[in-house]
Amino acid sequence: MRFFKRIMKTIFMKTIVSAASAQKAKVKPEIPTLTHILSEFNDCVDLVHRYYPEVNVHLVYFDHQVDHDKLYREVMNPLIHVHAEEEVPKLLEQSQFTLVRDSKELVEGILSGRVAIFSNSKTYLVDVFGLQSRSVSQSESETVITGPHDAFTEQAGINLSLIRQRIKSSHLKVIKLSVGEVTKTDVYILYIKDIANMTYVNEAIRRISNIEIDAVFDTNMLLQFIDDAPFSIFPQFLTSERPEAIASKLVAGRIVGIVDGSPSALSAPTSFFEYFSSSDDYNQRWMLGSASRLLRFLALFITLSFTSLYVSVTTFHYEMIPENLLITLTESRSKVPFPPLFEALFMEVTIELLREAGARLPSKIGQTIGIVGGIVIGQAAVQAGLTSNILIIAVASSAIASFVTPAYVMSASIRFLRFGLIILAGVWGNFGLAVGISAIVIHLSGLTSLGSSYLTPIAPFKPRDWKDVFIIAPFKYITERPSQSKSPNTVKNKMRK
Amino acid sequence: MINKGVGLCFLGCLVLLTGCNDQRILEETGFIQSASYDELTNNRIVYGISIPIANPEIKATRAFLMTDAMSSKQARTHLSRQTNLQLVSGQLRVALFGLPLAKKGIWRIMDTLIRDPTISEKIKIIIVNGEAAGLLKKNFKEFPRTGQYIDRLIKKEAIRHSTPLTTLYSFSRDYYDDGIDPVVPIIKDTGKTISLDGIALFQDDTYKGKINPEEAVVFAILRGNFKQGEVSLALPKQSQDTTVMLSSLNSSRKVNVKYEDDGNIRINIQIQATATVSEYIGELKLSNDAERREIERVISDQITEQAERILKTLQRFSTDSLGLGTYVRNSMTFAEWQKLNWHDQYPNVNIECRIKLRIKDYGFRR
Amino acid sequence: MNDKLSHFHVTILIYITQTGAVIITLPRLLAEHFGTNGWLSLLFVYMVVSVNLLLITAVYRLGKGKSIFEIMERSISKIILYPFYLAIASLWAMLGCLAAKQYVLIFQMIAFPTTNPMIFKLLIDILAFILIIKNVYKIAKAATVFFWMIVWMILLLFYFYGDFEWSRLTPFVFQDSAITLNSFFSIYLAFLGYEVCLLLFPYVDKRTKLMKAVQISNLMLTFTYVYLSIIAYGFYGYKHLKTLEYPLLNMFAYIQFPFVQGTENLLFGFLLFSIIITIVMYWWGAKEISVQILPLKGRVLAFIILFISFCISYIPKSINDTERWLSILGYAEIGLSFGLPIGLILLLLIQRMRGEAR
Repeated sequence: MRFFKRIMKTIFMKTIVSAASAQKAKVKPEIPTLTHILSEFNDCVDLVHRYYPEVNVHLVYFDHQVDHDKLYREVMNPLIHVHAEEEVPKLLEQSQFTLVRDSKELVEGILSGRVAIFSNSKTYLVDVFGLQSRSVSQSESETVITGPHDAFTEQAGINLSLIRQRIKSSHLKVIKLSVGEVTKTDVYILYIKDIANMTYVNEAIRRISNIEIDAVFDTNMLLQFIDDAPFSIFPQFLTSERPEAIASKLVAGRIVGIVDGSPSALSAPTSFFEYFSSSDDYNQRWMLGSASRLLRFLALFITLSFTSLYVSVTTFHYEMIPENLLITLTESRSKVPFPPLFEALFMEVTIELLREAGARLPSKIGQTIGIVGGIVIGQAAVQAGLTSNILIIAVASSAIASFVTPAYVMSASIRFLRFGLIILAGVWGNFGLAVGISAIVIHLSGLTSLGSSYLTPIAPFKPRDWKDVFIIAPFKYITERPSQSKSPNTVKNKMRK
Repeated sequence: MINKGVGLCFLGCLVLLTGCNDQRILEETGFIQSASYDELTNNRIVYGISIPIANPEIKATRAFLMTDAMSSKQARTHLSRQTNLQLVSGQLRVALFGLPLAKKGIWRIMDTLIRDPTISEKIKIIIVNGEAAGLLKKNFKEFPRTGQYIDRLIKKEAIRHSTPLTTLYSFSRDYYDDGIDPVVPIIKDTGKTISLDGIALFQDDTYKGKINPEEAVVFAILRGNFKQGEVSLALPKQSQDTTVMLSSLNSSRKVNVKYEDDGNIRINIQIQATATVSEYIGELKLSNDAERREIERVISDQITEQAERILKTLQRFSTDSLGLGTYVRNSMTFAEWQKLNWHDQYPNVNIECRIKLRIKDYGFRR
Repeated sequence: MNDKLSHFHVTILIYITQTGAVIITLPRLLAEHFGTNGWLSLLFVYMVVSVNLLLITAVYRLGKGKSIFEIMERSISKIILYPFYLAIASLWAMLGCLAAKQYVLIFQMIAFPTTNPMIFKLLIDILAFILIIKNVYKIAKAATVFFWMIVWMILLLFYFYGDFEWSRLTPFVFQDSAITLNSFFSIYLAFLGYEVCLLLFPYVDKRTKLMKAVQISNLMLTFTYVYLSIIAYGFYGYKHLKTLEYPLLNMFAYIQFPFVQGTENLLFGFLLFSIIITIVMYWWGAKEISVQILPLKGRVLAFIILFISFCISYIPKSINDTERWLSILGYAEIGLSFGLPIGLILLLLIQRMRGEAR
């Protein structure tokens, strides 16, 4: 153990030293040379090196990172029309060519899809980036019935443009950060000036720049590095694939993060209740929107309590069963050989297996899984006397209820918590249930998201927010931004500069 | 880090708790659905219980067990030796008392019912005209399990006010209240069926007498505000055999307590009632205002007469089932009330009763 | 960002702290000690509590929001103060721990009669521990959530309107009873919990309006108690109430819905939400005081306090024992809740006089 620690320490020391030396190098920029670049990218077969002897110009770029049309239009075509070496500097004065004096910058430029131009001991970069990427399509994980259907893609540029399209304001600011020692993933922090609270912006920037990791591939991975409470089961940043949802968060004064290579954007600060809202709510009549939102909170209650109540009641609190149900329930239990706790855990695990299998399989086979799982296993389990049919109803309804939660991360957390509650209920009945719920509440009340309370607007108590959290009031009554974003401009319809 | 510690603690607790014997797993539990209490000599009681059986492998729908013991809890330990199920009383719905026991007083048994925290306050208290265990033991082929049969019968009849719905709560409440005496439905075995045999009148916890089922609705009207009842009356004062059936009967009661010059208490009960005529066999026309008034008057007189008869009965038994004592109590000071022995006074009190009935509507026939 | 408690949070925190397990016996206590229409006595007690709160207000005003430790330590030497601190800390630790034990023992009447009560006690202690090691702001947040999770239970009282009769309340006031000072004390115990606000001075600012919040919470509590007691009186009648050990549990048991019956163990389970805050606030108070003596980390101190009180709570075995201990401690607490503010006021006045003399 101790030995291991020592090794870790030396490794860490080394990385710190190397980081320090890199900083030193920054002070004295290395003059970029072609030979240096070619040796840097040694063994990269996808690197293209072109030479135009008539004008003595070298081009270096990654073949699959550039848009060939653009390359031809911007670089090659002008170069072909140049006849003498002396005319080249004049051509390179055009604004798309940027002069580079630092070798490191040049390497990064080539890596991110630019073309390096070596001419006459000077080096230029030109942006002809053209990655083949997935086109904008529907979101798979967050679907709505009414409302826009486009979703973010894996490319940050497209995602940014999707947001810019929706917020045509010069106040929408974008800050670029880079995360990952090796991957150098671009992370963009978006906020609307004068609406977002700068404390949150600065806090987010601070946390992201403090990340020390070799690679980050997805938003959901990134935000685990910047969580307030990494041990918590609850997500502390809202993620969404829907541009209009993210745009609405921006306008509400929250800040947004986009990670290059990930189709989901994060938004913070967030509260527990935000995970239960969907853009669909706003696109319907307000009463229907409110009803479906309340339904989701009911679903939360059902998910957490149904199976555990079944276990608690059938194990300890028989007197809670209404007379008409008593006989049916006892009858269905009479063939089951296990205590209710194991019976319930068995069914819950089965459901989780089905869900996991359904998620991993292509959607066409997924349907078969649904039929096999739902009908065959469910029916057979009851007939074989492994479970009672009332339990199947309880488990199934609580599973369905858990999928009502629009945010997948949250519904997964809640489903996980359910197991804890079932065990507590199986051991200590209603007392265990009360203890479990108390524990959840205590945990939630300690949580923060970017330093602001996770339980807003219940605690801190902001009844004004309720009309946009538990219900949706008609829009003309929602005049203020959520209190959690602590916006300098709280009133929605008037912008104070 | 703390969460880990807490998790470990929880796990520790889970381990500690294995082998806990407070479980009441459904299929291993025998729910006493109804219990019967009968008197035996020298303070012993006969205790019978009916347990519904939900095991599909067993043909019978219920089990009936019976024993005699000093107390009901003692009896239960006897009974539990006879069954594979763990006997629990949390699902008790009906408590049946044999008439001979009721005549001696049932409070001794009520103690266990109230003390046991699992027993609901809503169990029904019912008197059996005869032997309670015998009734509970008997299976009525064309009806549900006997306990359930009685339970539903009483529940249904109570909606129509043919009988009061006496629960453990209302019985003990009226028992403790010094201004009212409890009433309990009384049933009897009529061969192939069970039928309602009237209303048992109690003084404190002892049975004193009963009111016939035919008078039950009028008794209910007297007892307090009343909704949704039916009563059929023969009106003898008319020339021919006139009968009238009143339904949707609603009434409200007002009680006035006055003191006569010689210090005697005079109680005046005013009842306003409305009803729908659902059947009228007679000569008068209901659509005619004057004639309808006439019918209303006749009906009112008829009901008043019945009510007075009931009041006489109550006074004879010295049971203040209507809660008139409450009004008397609330009209005097505490010291006076303490001095007044209401149960001794009650039979001599002058009670007047006046019922006014209005016909709300009379159906589709003019 | 949220260093100071808000007005609403303090109100709820104190309200939940005041509501404890006493609520389930309260109607019986009233009937036992005050007889007919005993609920009226709640109003007297309310007034006494308000006077007590005025005393605390005076401390707050005179001390200009300084913490009580600061006030005391300025003019009393630590050697005298430490035993005093220790006494208060152990009083509060014991109060919290016995309240938990009482709840557990009552719960065991309904369910789990043979399980070792200390297991349940341990569970509650663990919960309390997680909460105590957080700061008071987070405790207040948890209290707010718990408040919303139990406050709807007041609506359940509508269920009793059908069987409620005013005539059962009787027109007599405090008849059939022998009122002694003791009767008032036993009712007063139901109001305890507000004195914790003495420790909240450093955590509030002017905008909190601390003392107004506590007055409001006391008013809310009185309203809850009065409403509950009137319903209980009109539902059972005072003679019947006298015979019921835990009237509120009987009332819970009376509530039946078509989908769930015998609700008392579920509803009584929910009362845990309120009990836990009561316990936590006492323990938190004990912790705050102990910090003055032992400058340890809050977490360690909380653990020590909980551990010691857990060991002590092994001693009372029956409900009667626990309740007797609780009432003895409660009397001491009543003394403290009056004595401490009065002492502080005197101290502040002396300090002021000396300050002016200089």
